[in-house]
Amino acid sequence: MTLKITVDQSSTPTLKLVGRLDTDTAPQLDGELTKVLAHKGIKRLVFDLGGLDYLSSAGIRCFVRARKGIEPNGGTVAIVNPQPGVRKVLDIVKAIPAKGIFASVAELDEYLDAIQQQVRDEGKELDK
Amino acid sequence: MAVPIYAAAMYLSYRSAAQQLELGAERDADELASRLAAELDAVIRPIEGGIRTVAAQLEEIDPPREQYEARIRGILAAWPDVYGSTIAVETGSAHAGSGPFAPYLFRRSGGVAFSDLALDSYSYQTLPWYRRAADRREPVWSSPYFDAGGGEIWMVTYSVPFYRRPADAPRTLAGVVTADLDLNWVRAAAQNAALGPIGMGWLLSPPGQESFVAPIGATAERIAAFDASITEQTFRDTGERMLASGATFELVRGSTAEPVYLAVRGLETLEWRLMLAIPRAELLADARALLERQLLLGAVGLVLLIAAISFVAAGISRPIHALAESVDGAREGAFDFRLPETRRRDEVGVLTEALRRMRDSLQRHIELRAEDLAARARLEHELAIAASIQQSMLPHGAADAHPAGARVAAALLPAKQVGGDLYDYFERDSGLLFAIGDVSDKGIPAALFMASVSGLFKVLGSAGELPERLLARVNERLAASNDACMFATMGCGFLDVATGLVRYASAGHDQPLLLELGGSIEPLEAENGPALAVEAPAVYPLTERLLAPGDTLVLFTDGITEAAAADGSLFGLDRLSALLRDGAGPGSPDVLVRRIVAAVTTHTADFHATDDLTVLAVAFAPRGVTPSRSANGEQWLIEPELSAEGCREARHWLRQILAARRVADGRIADVELIAEELLTNIVRAAGEAGGASSMSLTLALTPAEIVLTVRDDGLEFDPLARAAPNLDVEIAERDVGGLGIHLVRELADECRYARSDDCNVLTICLNRSVARREYAT
Repeated sequence: MTLKITVDQSSTPTLKLVGRLDTDTAPQLDGELTKVLAHKGIKRLVFDLGGLDYLSSAGIRCFVRARKGIEPNGGTVAIVNPQPGVRKVLDIVKAIPAKGIFASVAELDEYLDAIQQQVRDEGKELDK
Repeated sequence: MAVPIYAAAMYLSYRSAAQQLELGAERDADELASRLAAELDAVIRPIEGGIRTVAAQLEEIDPPREQYEARIRGILAAWPDVYGSTIAVETGSAHAGSGPFAPYLFRRSGGVAFSDLALDSYSYQTLPWYRRAADRREPVWSSPYFDAGGGEIWMVTYSVPFYRRPADAPRTLAGVVTADLDLNWVRAAAQNAALGPIGMGWLLSPPGQESFVAPIGATAERIAAFDASITEQTFRDTGERMLASGATFELVRGSTAEPVYLAVRGLETLEWRLMLAIPRAELLADARALLERQLLLGAVGLVLLIAAISFVAAGISRPIHALAESVDGAREGAFDFRLPETRRRDEVGVLTEALRRMRDSLQRHIELRAEDLAARARLEHELAIAASIQQSMLPHGAADAHPAGARVAAALLPAKQVGGDLYDYFERDSGLLFAIGDVSDKGIPAALFMASVSGLFKVLGSAGELPERLLARVNERLAASNDACMFATMGCGFLDVATGLVRYASAGHDQPLLLELGGSIEPLEAENGPALAVEAPAVYPLTERLLAPGDTLVLFTDGITEAAAADGSLFGLDRLSALLRDGAGPGSPDVLVRRIVAAVTTHTADFHATDDLTVLAVAFAPRGVTPSRSANGEQWLIEPELSAEGCREARHWLRQILAARRVADGRIADVELIAEELLTNIVRAAGEAGGASSMSLTLALTPAEIVLTVRDDGLEFDPLARAAPNLDVEIAERDVGGLGIHLVRELADECRYARSDDCNVLTICLNRSVARREYAT
């Protein structure tokens, strides 16, 4: 039971997680996050959970850590495509606000486009 | 035996001889009477003839009277028994020549005297001797009379009339010729007849005439010797009655003494009777004497016969006795007994020879049988070796030889010394490869084929083949050289002890039974491929089934289910299932196998097992997991080491167990998540002061619930007492701690904390099938 992490450093940095994110694999993701968050000025981070089967609180802490690293700078963390079990955990813990969770990449893109319009004047509004 | 038969034969012979003798005696008496009568007739008849001849001459010739005397003399000369004779002429007729004329010549003093009956003023023509003949016109005999004036003797007279036939005149009486017969002669003749010591008789004139009786040997003493009730008159009356009825012989019985034979004859000439009376005893005296002599001889013969038989019998019985003693030795099994030498050619010799042949053939038979037994013993020995070799092909699973993660037990009971069943198992690639098989047929051919199957299984199985491929390859090899047209069924499985996954393939074998920890039983629904060695190539479908720790797979051959009791009832799958259900606790396949074997052998009782019995039980028993039955379900105690690795392992078993029990994936994830959060907390706290040094996890399954109990021996700490985190506060201000417990609380239907035995005990209950709530997106 492992976790496979694919990092997409294109226009929107995306971490694609496949497998299980738990106590054992969370350090692995932490390592990737450290690298990703090292880039100052990162505004958006997307976790693609389409391939994630299992998520425990250790994994959620990684998401929380990402938010703590990005959001103070006005950045945004989004989760895409979670499976029902993972979605359930996310919902219970509310580690990611409901509006930051997207059923698909298309939904996310639509949302990001809308953000582009407001990003100048309503930068702080995203968190509410 | 011979004696009574002989005596009976003698008696019958005596009876028959006595009857014959009696008949002979009767005939003799009868014949004696006939003879006497015939003798008298023989004397009288010529006289009658002679007188009639004279009369006829007188009729024909009519000689002158002077010649009459000469003719009378001729009569006397011719028949000495004639006493006197006359020719008396008839004077009353018309043709009579002259006066009465009757010259009578008679014997006197040795000469012949003459007397003229006419001259003696003898009016002869009126006398009976003349008158009767003249009147009857035929010859007549007179009654006996006593010649008082003449010879002074008893006599009878034969009178023959003669006639004349003158011309032109009817035939007229001319005279009568007579002859006097001296009855003293009759008496003499009668007295000459011999009638034995007391026999007697009478010559009698007929009744109604002048009575003349000439006794034949009868005297007063003799008559007295007869029964007093029998008198002379009795005889005479009986004789007359007999004559009247035509009988000639009769037995006259008196009131007391011996009966008397009476023979009676009438004379042909004279109208007289001859009667002979002879006592029966006397008549049979000779015959009796003869018979008694025979009887005596017979008795002597009988005695001699008995002696001879005894002698001969002794001659036979002594050697037979000797033979019997010789043969008697054979009773103790000594068939080399000596027989007496004999050159006898009788039955004893034949018997001795027959016994000798019997003894020799017995000895030959015994030798052959001894050889046969030796050969059989050799064969038995070889079979025993074969059986031991065959047994050695089977794994001898001592408990400590069991591979990690599994427990195996098996039993194979061959119906014959060597059998066609097989089983095998060995550890390989962190798992256990196992198989059970049943070769068609029984005995040595099946055993050899079994050895071949077993060898191939070992070689190919060790090479790393998994069941479906393994069966296909074993089948290929067997089918390629199966000239004997044998075949085998085989069930083959591989248990991955890391996961509990069984991969199973079957070559026409009975489906194994899966006994779950909680006692439920179901067949392993494995699709069958063809039996081994039947056709190649063949495909053996793979069946996969996940076992929970404590589950047992029971493989068996049809010798188990088809074991027949004396009444024909088969042991059957139902009995086997019931036995497993009520059977041993979790993870004890050896107890299970023993119970099955005991139940089957009890079922068949003394009934001869017709097929090999084989049973193989494989229990999944991974280290660190202790299965047990609970009141209403199953439970597993998992004791991981206190580390992240231990947590991983515990979660792994939870996942496998729940998957094996077909719990929905979502629920499995919930349970795993709960376990992870709780165990991770314990492990994390372990390094700190008051941290635990050990932990354990118990998973209990009931039909409705999943209950997870987590224990640790750390300082008292109730994670549930901690307030739920405020999820609505800004992320930056939030403490990440407490998320895990929050998750646990949210996922579980019920959480309880208890401090027990210096341990923190956290009990988490989940509904087995339905999540409490769904979180819609």
